[in-house]
Amino acid sequence: MATDNLYLPDLAVIEEISDETYDTKSFKLVFKDPKMRDSFDFKAGQFGLYSAFGLGESTFCIASSPTRKGYIQCTFRNVGRVTSALADLNVGDTVGFRGPYGNWFPVDEWEGKSLLFIAGGIALPPVRSVIWNCLDMRERFMDVTIVYGARTVADLVYKDELAEWEAMPDVNLIQTVDPGGETEEWKGKVGFVPTVLEEAAPTASNTIAITCGPPIMIKFVLNALGNLGFSDDQVYTTLENKMKCGFGKCGRCNVGDIYICKEGPVYTSGEVKQMYNDF
Amino acid sequence: MSESYLKKENLTKLIEAFTGGGGLFIAPTLEDRQIFYRPVSTGAEITFDYIVPKNSHKELLFPQTEVVANYAIGKDAVDVEGVEIDPPETIFFGIRPCDAASVASLRSVFTWDFIDTYYTKREEKTLFIGVACTAADDSCFCTTVGVTPDGSEGSDLLLKETEGGNYLVDVVTERGGEFVKRFDDIFIGPEPGGAVDGMKPIVDVPVLEGVDREKIHDFLKNTDHYEKNALWGEMARKCMGCGACTFGCPTCHCFDIIDEGTAFGGERRKNWDACQFDFFTVHAGGGHNPRDTQYKRWRNRFMCKFNYYPNKFTSKGCVGCGRCIRVCPVRLDITEVMEDISQQ
Repeated sequence: MATDNLYLPDLAVIEEISDETYDTKSFKLVFKDPKMRDSFDFKAGQFGLYSAFGLGESTFCIASSPTRKGYIQCTFRNVGRVTSALADLNVGDTVGFRGPYGNWFPVDEWEGKSLLFIAGGIALPPVRSVIWNCLDMRERFMDVTIVYGARTVADLVYKDELAEWEAMPDVNLIQTVDPGGETEEWKGKVGFVPTVLEEAAPTASNTIAITCGPPIMIKFVLNALGNLGFSDDQVYTTLENKMKCGFGKCGRCNVGDIYICKEGPVYTSGEVKQMYNDF
Repeated sequence: MSESYLKKENLTKLIEAFTGGGGLFIAPTLEDRQIFYRPVSTGAEITFDYIVPKNSHKELLFPQTEVVANYAIGKDAVDVEGVEIDPPETIFFGIRPCDAASVASLRSVFTWDFIDTYYTKREEKTLFIGVACTAADDSCFCTTVGVTPDGSEGSDLLLKETEGGNYLVDVVTERGGEFVKRFDDIFIGPEPGGAVDGMKPIVDVPVLEGVDREKIHDFLKNTDHYEKNALWGEMARKCMGCGACTFGCPTCHCFDIIDEGTAFGGERRKNWDACQFDFFTVHAGGGHNPRDTQYKRWRNRFMCKFNYYPNKFTSKGCVGCGRCIRVCPVRLDITEVMEDISQQ
């Protein structure tokens, strides 16, 4: 759309809806404008503002990989006004999209390294984008380990893809649920993500760790990674805060003078440690 | 450029000549015993006896509410259309040097990589005619933050009052010079042989003795002050989060984006918002709030002025207009906090 209006969303049609959990859905979105469909490009870690017209916009990452062209995916929990309106939509309905915004994971810099992905709960989507990004060029990396946990088995998202990663001979998937969250059929681990991570003891040598989860999980994962010998510049995370504009003007997402939407959301753990304790 | 004068009696002529061509002329007016910048059509509507009006040019360049898109929700399709603006040529007459210095502040935010054309289109169409201050009140503190009562930053023309009630015109920008040329029958030189009346003295706004800007800068620079919750809590204790300071402030830029309408369509609006409001930063789902108490929100505003703006931009976060002090219902005075921090 040729416009200088920063606030004007592009229209996208919901092509597919997956129920991830009892309160979480994924949309596969295809831009209405064929030119936009072909030209739209983004990098893993970037996010967008998704509109349910009449209710407003909500911010989520682009959960699909930039290597998969022609569509984008988003995954959201039905927890607020906009997300519940989005959750009411059906296949064929229209949403608005503004983006991509923010910075990204420097995937190109990781060539020749091992990758360790650590995610908790609904925070798998941003990590999933970079996981598929890397798996789609698997030959460029050494070992790939994914540690994913949720409160209960019912809270695990992308169950089909977890099975897919499980089946991949060159991916080491470790799944866990918090104690008490397991079911009789559960074959994964039982324990909190940071604990399971330390038990698995992946090597820090020539490895990049990418983590996202609830703030409390990130805190302990960073400790665990420190214990495993990871340095601050080996660990990447993606932060979130309330956002409205997506481009550093509306004044909400700042942590000190850092606008998460514009100078983030992707940071090394070293950068996070420099920030004000304001998130 | 030769010296020129603007006579107050010629203002109506200037307004008519300018607005006759479709332009908008905004000037300080008296409304319900308070001073507001409003569009005027004659010189008689202008008030000259004012310090800092209630509102600022912010309302012109960044309206309190504005439609950015219209959407229609049909049975089978949704349509959305952006709203294009075409602001008229505008004269903003009587802007004070403090406000004028803050034009650059809003521009910094709205052009920081992403250009918000709702802002830039309006600013580009506006000519600022500043008037140097010959009076101040207890809330004025421009000199404490590096602005002067006759500063020209941000003005295209700066007027200085004469004892006879006319103006000596300083041309500040090229645009201002062109404007003077365009209306050279109104901006006249001194009459040959005529007496030029004396200048009214520029008001002396003393720098607040207790404020040390270097100390404030250093205090805020060190993230350790975040642990001094009791100090911030004490300084911001009175704040009740009404946000009036932010709405009056010419550099405060926070806004919300919301949809307003029916099930069949409506408008997407950009509305002023404030970092002082308790729901401003609340996350959806679980209600986590990084600024969950009022002192944290107040601290954010203070830091925005004296740490974020200076770190990110060359423009000023605070220009000392004093609106936040005048409007505060609990008399929480930002200069007192500046003094407190200077003593840390």
